[in-house]
Amino acid sequence: MQALTDNALMLQVKSGQLDKLGLLYERYKKQLFGFFYHMNSNAALSEDLVQNVFVRIMKYRHTFTGDGSFAAWLFRMARNVSYDHFRKHGSLNKRADLDEINYKLSDSESFESEGDKQDQIKQLQWALNKLSPEKKEIIILSKYRELKFKEIGEILNCSEGAAKVKAHRAIQDLRKMFLQQKK
Amino acid sequence: MDIEKFEEWSMDYLSGNMDIETRKLFDRFLKDHPEYQDKLKEFDNTWGVLNELEAPETSLAMDDAFYEMLSDTIKKEQVNTAKSGWFENLISQFMALIKPQMAYGMLLLLAGVGLGYFFNSTDSNTTTVAEINTNVENSADEASLVREKLVLTLLEQPSAKKRLEGVNEANKLKNVEEKVIQALLKTLNNDANVNVRLAAIASLTQFVEHPQVREGLVKSITQQESPIVQITLANLMEILQEKKSVEPFKELLKTQKLDTTVKQKIEHSIKAII
Repeated sequence: MQALTDNALMLQVKSGQLDKLGLLYERYKKQLFGFFYHMNSNAALSEDLVQNVFVRIMKYRHTFTGDGSFAAWLFRMARNVSYDHFRKHGSLNKRADLDEINYKLSDSESFESEGDKQDQIKQLQWALNKLSPEKKEIIILSKYRELKFKEIGEILNCSEGAAKVKAHRAIQDLRKMFLQQKK
Repeated sequence: MDIEKFEEWSMDYLSGNMDIETRKLFDRFLKDHPEYQDKLKEFDNTWGVLNELEAPETSLAMDDAFYEMLSDTIKKEQVNTAKSGWFENLISQFMALIKPQMAYGMLLLLAGVGLGYFFNSTDSNTTTVAEINTNVENSADEASLVREKLVLTLLEQPSAKKRLEGVNEANKLKNVEEKVIQALLKTLNNDANVNVRLAAIASLTQFVEHPQVREGLVKSITQQESPIVQITLANLMEILQEKKSVEPFKELLKTQKLDTTVKQKIEHSIKAII
């Protein structure tokens, strides 16, 4: 049983069974890719960043203690990879600025109504890109990556309750941004 | 209730992580405070629309890059381990000296763990043998899937050394999938390196109970030009007593350029099979 958990697999990787990283890669590649993709809207870059995360896991495998959840450890590393990349190559919100120039909305009734789905998705992506990286990140982690708030707290280095409050406020800001953009 | 509590509960509610007791309290609170009902509704709408955002599928190139990195790292580690062998010998000699004491200590530890488990186990947390077996099977399937991907990635690499590693990885598979068989047969028929082709035959030999493998090996006979590969296939067909191989071998015998030793070997094999 124990051999099946993420933590146990990562401890096996740490002890030298490097092939076990393949199992963790298969379990998490989509989640990680989705995390990066929603952060930067660039599929090729997101794939590179997924690769960077696993290279870093390999390099720093000795630091995994197994005390917290593997998912939290992984996504903490993913955040660092993402920040390092954008520190070297420019702002995480550059894409949002570009979107602002190019983006033309077609008419739709309201946020709650059944409007054109594609327009709504574009609007939402635009609004998401306008948020600060921290707010965007917590929305992505809580909504798309299906992480528990306890794990999100571990990733962001705050309590579970604080993670929920942050997520709630980020979504409120997203809504404001979304509605503001529609005016 | 303060606003932070409402925010926390809203997140639990929307993410489906609210327990029954808290849900009752939350419902009562919303009933008494209609303004918060509106807030929750707005919030629920935004949360719902977020479902529409999707990420594209990942590419096969991403898997290839990962498995190549994994294979390289494993290789480097093996080299490092081999280099540090003398140190490990020293440690093992030292361990041999303290082995009796350690064995006694381990025995005590195991007895302690066993007793602890016995006294603490309850019906509620006892996992059935069937559940464990299912999980172990799932884990084995997952590991097999990963190895398959590793094999397929390595077989496509430009370096012959990497492709050989791929064939060696295929040898570790207990159950082989059709796409792995296809990849090995493709290697046997098209690989530029004779050693890789020979390794592919050796690997396929493990899976000869699959009709697809036997058929693929038979079809491959007329496609081979290397004498050593031709002789290896002749030996294999002789062992397998594969009657379907006789015709392709006869076809091969008609080839002008056929090596004399190979010709003799094939003629001998045909007789042995018939």
